[in-house]
Amino acid sequence: MARSITMGQYIPGVSIIHQLNPRFKLLTLVLILALLFLLETFGALVVSLGMALALFAMAGVPFKYLLRGLRPVLYISIFALIIYFFFTSGGVVLFRIGFLTVESEGGEQGIFIIARLVVLVLFSLLVTLTTTPLSLTHGMAYFLSPLQRLGLPTEEVAMIMAVALRFIPTLMEESQRLMRAQLARGADFETGSIFKRARNLVPLIVPLFVSAFRRADELAIAMEARGFRIGAKRTRMQDDLITFKDWAALVITLALIVLVLIFNL
Amino acid sequence: MAGQSAAIIESKDAYFSYSGDGEPSPALSGINFSVKRGEYVALIGPNGSGKTTLLKLFNALLIPSNGEVLVKGISTTEEDKLPEVRRSCGMIFQNPDNQLVATTVEEDLAFGLENLALPVSVIRKRVKATAALLGLEMLLKQPPHLLSGGEKQRVAIAGVLAMEPDCILMDEPTAMLDPAGRHSVLNTVHALNRNRGIAVIHVTHFPEEAALAGRVLALNEGRVVADGAAKKVLTDLDLLHKIGLQGTTAGELAALLRLGGCPLPSHILNNRELVDNICTLAQNN
Amino acid sequence: MYIGTEQLTHTYMPGTPFATKALQDITFSLQQGCFALIIGPSGSGKSTLIQHLNGLLKPTAGRVFFAGQSIGSDKQALLGLRKKIGLVFQMPEEQFFAETVYDEIAFAPRNQGLTENEVEERVNNAFEKTGLQSASLLKRHPFQLSAGQKRLVAIAAVLSLNPEVLILDEPTVALDLDSRDHLFNLLAQLNQEEGLTIIISTHHLDHVAALADTALVLKQGQLMLAGSLDEVFSRRKALYEMGLSLPAVTEIMHSLAERGLPVSTCVYTMQKAKQEILAAKKRG
Repeated sequence: MARSITMGQYIPGVSIIHQLNPRFKLLTLVLILALLFLLETFGALVVSLGMALALFAMAGVPFKYLLRGLRPVLYISIFALIIYFFFTSGGVVLFRIGFLTVESEGGEQGIFIIARLVVLVLFSLLVTLTTTPLSLTHGMAYFLSPLQRLGLPTEEVAMIMAVALRFIPTLMEESQRLMRAQLARGADFETGSIFKRARNLVPLIVPLFVSAFRRADELAIAMEARGFRIGAKRTRMQDDLITFKDWAALVITLALIVLVLIFNL
Repeated sequence: MAGQSAAIIESKDAYFSYSGDGEPSPALSGINFSVKRGEYVALIGPNGSGKTTLLKLFNALLIPSNGEVLVKGISTTEEDKLPEVRRSCGMIFQNPDNQLVATTVEEDLAFGLENLALPVSVIRKRVKATAALLGLEMLLKQPPHLLSGGEKQRVAIAGVLAMEPDCILMDEPTAMLDPAGRHSVLNTVHALNRNRGIAVIHVTHFPEEAALAGRVLALNEGRVVADGAAKKVLTDLDLLHKIGLQGTTAGELAALLRLGGCPLPSHILNNRELVDNICTLAQNN
Repeated sequence: MYIGTEQLTHTYMPGTPFATKALQDITFSLQQGCFALIIGPSGSGKSTLIQHLNGLLKPTAGRVFFAGQSIGSDKQALLGLRKKIGLVFQMPEEQFFAETVYDEIAFAPRNQGLTENEVEERVNNAFEKTGLQSASLLKRHPFQLSAGQKRLVAIAAVLSLNPEVLILDEPTVALDLDSRDHLFNLLAQLNQEEGLTIIISTHHLDHVAALADTALVLKQGQLMLAGSLDEVFSRRKALYEMGLSLPAVTEIMHSLAERGLPVSTCVYTMQKAKQEILAAKKRG
């Protein structure tokens, strides 16, 4: 059933963070990411981490989603840490293995870089967990819209993304149903050589494509019937959603950035 | 356009044929008819009789190869008036899954209005009002794939209604719904027709649904073979059977009983009429 | 106690925030050779239930049985089971993938590893049963057929398994009258002459009621009513409250009976209705 498929990483919610305009969220995210690259002291980093966690608390996103999002970072971190420990010299010698010496400077640098990465990922997660993929797409399309003058169809790409997002759950459900239907006819998708297995997928892939094309065709007609025309001027309902909250969020972010920069001195 | 009659849709000797590769394709030959403001027309006919094709002519999805289709006096060939034609004649399709575009109900209701490039404040107001009218407020933030079939169709109707249409064209909107979903969709559309004067052209293969319309148009092989009050067209069982259709269950049963010697009147269309008439006969016995 | 379930519960996505209970504590059993209807509004769990009956879905709790044995999860046993219990999905023509009608129908027997001769016999047999005219259809591309022919071919593609039980999910959706009548004739013949057990899930009762003898009613994953068709259909009000409606003919008979006409309400065909009413009038 389609209920099993979540829309990207988005966790539905009603917090103030959820309500912010995606354009502002993206803008503040970029500002914060830039800030993080300027940071040089642990103090400033700790303050930013605190900010990130406070915002997570405000958004009401369960802690486990945060950990799940950080999991990929873990592997990169361990790898990076090892490299820094072994290949950066300076500071106190901690221990030696054969010809390799492990010195404190490398450790400190490694930990700092990883901590920065973690904070960076946390802020990005905050945006993707509280914004629907559709809003994100529209937000990005807005910032890319100057490219339209160069002839890039950013509006159309945003529409295509939106329609794709709408149909992913439907097509997932359909492929499950098709798989069961062919299983009922004795199909085997699991055994045999790679070549045989690939061939066994034909009864799945052919109908899935036929259906996807039929859906695309019907949808295109339905969109046309509702007055959609490629290249025609249209408005977007979400465009008015810039409220006082958004400006307030932007000002607060700027203030916090200044605060963090002070800690950075 | 003010000078025109109250006709919302006029089809003047309209022809259409698909340029397929030799396959038999439904075509229309010389369709003449018009729909007035506030009318409810059921369009019936066997598979391939041209019902869907005709519907698509009214929304300018197809252009007649001969003759003319006018929507509020505007010819559907007038490219620059296309937005107005599509706004005044909205269309609902059979498959509820393949006509909702957006990832939430709210966004979907806005889709047609966005295409009209209306100001955002107007769009918001209309979306809200339409959702309230059809009782969809609770669903506004839902993604379409979590709705039931009946809910999806009502969202599709709301998306058309938000554009403040003069006519709603429906292509077998209940074919894939369960009885509860079918009821809710029919109730919604009939209420819009009654209370807001929106004309409806409703393609259906359920005689019981056609019987609810004021007027029934029967197509066969691309031609109009009957056009008149539901009571007249749907009780002409000889004609219906000849083109491979059936009357309502009550109408068919009444005909059988008449053959069995029961002196029932020939205009019986729905269950209540049949039951009343049988009971009257039984009392007179 | 031929085919059925015991306290069957099924939860989609258990252990996640998206967990939904699709079936709850369903217990029933059907006789061999019966013609059963599984009735319920959309989303009541009909499709989920029938997919358990040939092991495509695994119970979250409870069990499914067939011919005296529990349906387990052993792969070989399941393959064997699916030869005996044929399942025709909703809009089954959407599964077509082969180049010819013949290959489409041959898919199931070929999956059983039969020789080409045996496969041919199965295909011809299944095709004949559907009553489709002209064997030249077998060489056509499935997409070239009419909607009604496609549906029959899709059923033949399951009949070629030679099943003992044939389960169909909403078999008449989007079919015209002629094709629907043809399909019901086929099902009646399979049931009466070949002795197949037939189970149909549907919310459209108008014409199928005349064929069936047993009915189960589901609502929101729970079994609300079960028994002979006459018993279940006599619960008019309960059905109505569940968003279901009786066949139009039966509805008329109920109305007549309520108005005091001495007619039976267990009537599912026009002919029977006519006889009942004429007889009542004479008696009246």
